[in-house]
Amino acid sequence: MSTTLTSQLGGAKGDWIRCPNCDASCRERELSSGEELRCTRCGATVLQFTGRKTLQPALALSVAGLLALVLANSSPVLVFSVAGRDQSGYIITGVRELIAQGYWPIAALVFFAGILAPLLYLTSVAYVSSACCFHVRLPRLVDLIRLSEQMESWNLVPVYSIATVVSVVKLRMLGGVQWEFGAQWVLALAVISLFVQQTFNHRLVTERLISMGVEP
Amino acid sequence: MKINNKLRVELARALVVTAALLYIPSNIMPVMTMTIVGKTEPLTVLGGVYELYDSGLPLIAGVVFLASFVVPFLKIAALGWILFLHGTPRLRERRNALHHIVHKVGSWSMIDIFLLAVLAAVGQLGSLAAVTAEPGAIFFCIVMISCLLAAEIYKPRLIWETTTT
Repeated sequence: MSTTLTSQLGGAKGDWIRCPNCDASCRERELSSGEELRCTRCGATVLQFTGRKTLQPALALSVAGLLALVLANSSPVLVFSVAGRDQSGYIITGVRELIAQGYWPIAALVFFAGILAPLLYLTSVAYVSSACCFHVRLPRLVDLIRLSEQMESWNLVPVYSIATVVSVVKLRMLGGVQWEFGAQWVLALAVISLFVQQTFNHRLVTERLISMGVEP
Repeated sequence: MKINNKLRVELARALVVTAALLYIPSNIMPVMTMTIVGKTEPLTVLGGVYELYDSGLPLIAGVVFLASFVVPFLKIAALGWILFLHGTPRLRERRNALHHIVHKVGSWSMIDIFLLAVLAAVGQLGSLAAVTAEPGAIFFCIVMISCLLAAEIYKPRLIWETTTT
């Protein structure tokens, strides 16, 4: 569920805040450990207890994710062999081949969801997390938060990793297939992406920005 | 660019109708052709599932069947139902929960497109092996993107609106 910054903004405890899901007004209150404030109309989580949570895990994971993304794209993922001839494939090889076959809309979609969106998502998370962790007012912070929200649902590396497994099964029926170095980084990137989504808490980001004097 | 609520609903409806219309050709037409040692075989989405099942891999076949066939169908049906009831107070909690599920699982139907990209990447061995995309893949992409965009454009807050559009 995408949350907007304005809906998460809250002033002093007891103020009215907007539910990020249905726009209903909810009364903000002090939360204790493990507690969350839910919208009385739609049941969505409006506020969560953030306590002493930091964005350091999100920063560490997003940097690790960027590293995994580089390695996954700079090494072959699979090698397929038939009758003594073999061919290795990178993530970008599929994109190039689809363009060569004239299917550039599919190529563009694969490039966007498999390479560009993960890159933009992890970069924006790393940028915003580092600003919050080091208390630095970096330029265009609000734009980067919005970018991370938009790219989150387009980061489809976990789906790509499952598709790779299915393709190996399919190719084994036709010839020899071997996992290559890039495959483990595709898998690592998929797992890291899922953890980044869990640790990059938008409410926490908003709180940190307000404490730094940045108006989201 | 700000889009007003009425336009959001109309756009979402147009996208769901597009997806529903193209769902049939996307499943009838082949998404790829595989040529292995001179044997050419066009594969539809369901053809690929059957091939996996036939090769003794029911679990993998089940995953692909769910992600590529069932999920797009359920997404179209769910979004169609949500949009049909737009502006009415009926079953709002259920519509809200369904929208949340569609948003979460929707992207898994990309599995077939990624599968095509991976197979096309390694399956270029001249006369020994060749994997080529087919027009069915374009229809499949449009169905998937239409559903994703419809779920993005039709925000859950619109379910809770009272005015009929």
